[in-house]
Amino acid sequence: MLFSLRELVQWLGFATFELFLHLGALLIFSLLVAVRVDFAEAISWWHVFVPLFTADGLSTYFTAIVSIRLHQEGERRLAVLRLLWVLTVLSLKLVCEVLLCQKLADLDQAPNLWFGLIVSPLFILLQLLMIRACRVN
Amino acid sequence: MSLAQRVLLTWIFTLVFLIMLVLKLDDKIRWNWFLVFLPVWVFDVILVIMLVVKMAGRCKSGHEPRDGPQDLRKKSWYLVAVLLKLAFCLALCARLERLADIKVTFVCIPLWVLLLGAMAELGYNIFPDRRD
Repeated sequence: MLFSLRELVQWLGFATFELFLHLGALLIFSLLVAVRVDFAEAISWWHVFVPLFTADGLSTYFTAIVSIRLHQEGERRLAVLRLLWVLTVLSLKLVCEVLLCQKLADLDQAPNLWFGLIVSPLFILLQLLMIRACRVN
Repeated sequence: MSLAQRVLLTWIFTLVFLIMLVLKLDDKIRWNWFLVFLPVWVFDVILVIMLVVKMAGRCKSGHEPRDGPQDLRKKSWYLVAVLLKLAFCLALCARLERLADIKVTFVCIPLWVLLLGAMAELGYNIFPDRRD
């Protein structure tokens, strides 16, 4: 569309398979949100967020494997840089997800958890993505 | 447009949308949800215009690129994807503004179609045709 797949992979630093994984997780998550809101309010929000947490875990595992392989092939700098970048992105995403889940789970009990705070990891991520875009360009 | 320009365009619209979303969710502003989604509408309209102009350029008489029909099919899918995203956002805003009493399941249908299409395209790139 606006970006080709190659540009997206370069910019985001994720492999095509990882993007596929996260899209799949988003699809299952949205299905669960619809089920939770429309049909089964008894389901905990922590269960609804399981696909996203799983995708983050699998992505971390995949990145660790790729980094180890890169390290074995002598590309140490590339391995460390890739590992650091993906772990930073995934941890920021995970913090945002956990905070959002906490907010939704205890909507009345967590008045101090305002949305500005929940979305703040995404603001940091946006700045990092802009810096990376300048480097890739 | 260079990659930096496209990234900057996406970045600015995402940032403005996130700021407006946070302000609305924290009850700092009392705007209509359709107004909060304004950056999304503007960004999607820009995307649609860019795609239509590109497709019109491809369809122009005398212009025959090597992979013409395939490229046109791809552009058509992109156009459908943007329209699906617009449909999802419109339905979501209508639900949030209580203009229509629709279930979240129906609101999410365009999103699911979009995600399935995007996954199919990505899957095709990961596992290319191996019939031979």
